[in-house]
Amino acid sequence: MMKIGLFIPCYINAIYPQVGVASYRLLKSLGLEVDYPLDQTCCGQPMANGGFEGEALQLAKRFDNLFKDYDYIVGPSASCVAFVKENHAGILAKEHHECTSSGKIYDICEFIHDVVKPTKLNAKFPHKVSIHNSCHGVRELYLSSSSEMNVPYYSKLRDLLSLVEGVEIFEPSHVDECCGFGGMFAIEEPEISVCMGQDKVKDHIETGAEYITGADSSCLMHMEGVIKREKLPIKTIHIVEILASQL
Amino acid sequence: MNSKELILESIRKHTQTKYEKPELSVDAITYPDKQAKFCEMLQFVGGEFLILKEGENLNEMIMRLNPEAKRIGSTLSYITCNTFNPDELENSTELNGTDLAIVEGLFGVAENGAVWMDQNVKHKALYFISEKLIIVLDKNKLVNNMHEAYRQMEIGQYGFGVFISGPSKTADIEQALVIGAHGPKGLMVILK
Amino acid sequence: MSTKHSIAAAKFVANKKQAAWHNETLWMVRAKRDKMSKDIPEWEQLRDLACNIKLYSNSHLEELLQEFEKNATANGAIVHWAKDAKEHNEIVLGILRDHDVKHFVKSKSMLAEECELNPFLIEKGIEVVETDLGERILQLMDVPPSHIVLPAIHIKREQVGELFEEKLGTEKGNSDPTYLTRAARKHLRDKFLNAEASMTGANFAVASTGDIVVCTNEGNADMGTSCPKIHIAIMGMEKIVPDQESLGVFTRLLARSATGQPVTSYTSHYRKPREGGEFHIIIVDNGRSKILGQPDHIKTLNCIRCGACMNTCPVYRRSGGYSYTYFIPGPIGINLGMLYSATEYFDNLSACSLCLSCSHVCPVKVDLGEQIYRWRQEMDKIGKASKEKKVMSAGMKFLMERPILFNSALWMSPVVNVLPRFIKYNFLNEWGKGRELPEFAKESFNEMWKKNKVK
Repeated sequence: MMKIGLFIPCYINAIYPQVGVASYRLLKSLGLEVDYPLDQTCCGQPMANGGFEGEALQLAKRFDNLFKDYDYIVGPSASCVAFVKENHAGILAKEHHECTSSGKIYDICEFIHDVVKPTKLNAKFPHKVSIHNSCHGVRELYLSSSSEMNVPYYSKLRDLLSLVEGVEIFEPSHVDECCGFGGMFAIEEPEISVCMGQDKVKDHIETGAEYITGADSSCLMHMEGVIKREKLPIKTIHIVEILASQL
Repeated sequence: MNSKELILESIRKHTQTKYEKPELSVDAITYPDKQAKFCEMLQFVGGEFLILKEGENLNEMIMRLNPEAKRIGSTLSYITCNTFNPDELENSTELNGTDLAIVEGLFGVAENGAVWMDQNVKHKALYFISEKLIIVLDKNKLVNNMHEAYRQMEIGQYGFGVFISGPSKTADIEQALVIGAHGPKGLMVILK
Repeated sequence: MSTKHSIAAAKFVANKKQAAWHNETLWMVRAKRDKMSKDIPEWEQLRDLACNIKLYSNSHLEELLQEFEKNATANGAIVHWAKDAKEHNEIVLGILRDHDVKHFVKSKSMLAEECELNPFLIEKGIEVVETDLGERILQLMDVPPSHIVLPAIHIKREQVGELFEEKLGTEKGNSDPTYLTRAARKHLRDKFLNAEASMTGANFAVASTGDIVVCTNEGNADMGTSCPKIHIAIMGMEKIVPDQESLGVFTRLLARSATGQPVTSYTSHYRKPREGGEFHIIIVDNGRSKILGQPDHIKTLNCIRCGACMNTCPVYRRSGGYSYTYFIPGPIGINLGMLYSATEYFDNLSACSLCLSCSHVCPVKVDLGEQIYRWRQEMDKIGKASKEKKVMSAGMKFLMERPILFNSALWMSPVVNVLPRFIKYNFLNEWGKGRELPEFAKESFNEMWKKNKVK
């Protein structure tokens, strides 16, 4: 039986632990052997995106070690998973350390959709939701077709949500435009970041949805910040919480 | 060392990987009815078309469609409705004030409504300076796309050539489309 | 933690109405591009081909440029080589002086902007008239372009109306774009007829034939080259393509990417000088050969200057061209600026959320966003890393490398929730500009797991 190591990103650990709990429950409900190696901290993305890739070296080593005995690493964050997948090998190569994580790490939606392939889920969520297609999810992990490219439409998040009873699925008009979080960008260019967040939330609200849902809590956190400040009539929820809603 | 040599030396010094020339085979789009697509795209880009029917007189049609044109220039032997021959003018600037210019195209491109002309008139200004331009084109000389178009053109034949797709235009003011900028304000392709 | 870009961008976006208009108008151009690209089933194949043709051409510049020169010269053109902007300007001046040119008309050329040609010539007593409508408007206003294809995108019609009333004598209060364009037509027609020389840029230069190809909509390049008999075409050396067959690929991608048209109104192929005239071609280096030596950044030489990256960039759309310190803005501008002078133009690196939309929209597959990420890693080495970011990164690193400390921090973090607003928002001032802070959970995932609460 394949051994899965659950990867819980730092900010999910601190701010949205319920997303971690939902991830665990969801994977267990699909009959998988899931373990959480203790004392995970961070994948290093915030430092790297800010220009300090070198600072992530020890973190990348640590990460690789923590997860070395698992067949798959699965985490509820497209952004962090994409970072490990795209960048850890390069960072570790600078110290001639072979990266074992990048070949076996998956975002949880990607994993369930592509590897587990369930035909039904024990999930019920009778609400209108608008899918937030995060940049790293779309353009690095290929969770959905990018709007820029001339390729047939597909959406792994939509496929998973369609297994949920009662849910009504929408997508905003600028289907994968950036929400403006961008890590350090959010505080280095706060005015543009907030403007992007406001525009994105407005786009989601215009679908008539009650919830914004997606695979990245970082995007959701940024949009939630705007929603709370402006007291807007929409909520955010990570997609695994919807998929694990009956568990 | 002169500048050319300095530049070439710098290129030589800095060039690293030498990439291979790719095979230029494209599964490019083709249309079941090239003429229909050509006309559709020509209209899309703000141009007009006229398919000359059996028995219709080209010169009569042109006159009928352009009653207000006073100064009409053409070098084509089969055009009789023109008021002057542009090739007889000394300077291209004398063409200013031409209401209608009538020229001939070599072939048309269905995917974008463009017509290729290589200059066979004394002044190439004739293609750009008039208020309106009419291009006469053999309706059998249509290709599907730009790949086919470039395969048609032979090397060394022209001194100046141009693909013209529709009238001149601009959207430089607030992205509001205005047909007619510095070139012709109207373009018609007559397919015969 | 601010950069020149973030400060300027903040001002731009503070004018909500203007920023929203700029954002939506440019998004519409992106949408037009999308529609066009979806009509071509082989679109992604074309992008791959275009990228590969450019990589081949730019790695064989020595051979191709010489082939071009040989063919162009055999056609009767006069080919010049300029190693830098200064030499380029002097060559142009030399040609104009040789022919006693006082009235010079230009169509749009980003290369001419790069070399700062206009002020140089004007200072020498030559009248230089920009003939592209957008560029002429900006010239009359004495301001620079804010987009490489839609240079006056930031200017409203009322401003143009007032400008033309003053400079061209148009009706007071009339800001109808058609009326104003007709007025410009009349004004510039006069300039074309009386000019003694014209300049164009070059979208493509074909090695096997010696052709210079110029793609325009307004007809200004062609009017310019059809009236005066001296034509000067200037090209960055990376504009070279091997043969006419390659043009089939590029002419299908360029206008669709730039403005959402199937092709520009005019795709002019200049091969020989006009009867009784002269055709000069200036090949310019100005730092391009050095870029060849940077494999991480070599794809920037693929750029065909379509502007699609600007139209899609969520940051450019909301900050405008003037908030960038390099004369070319947006994703390609950030990269070109860093290549031209990293120590001078690093401020623009903050203008990116790394969304990668630009890389996906680029018709020649320049890895724009990925290169920006790589440039950010270079900042510390060149001594330009932001002190605050460096401190924050080091702090995060310290914390994240010590799980016990991290866990304690997690345990303590709910305290932040109950701090008074003014303390919270002073400390994390930048986040607080428009957003509430997230609330830290009472128990972290780590703690829950340890207490066996995760089931």
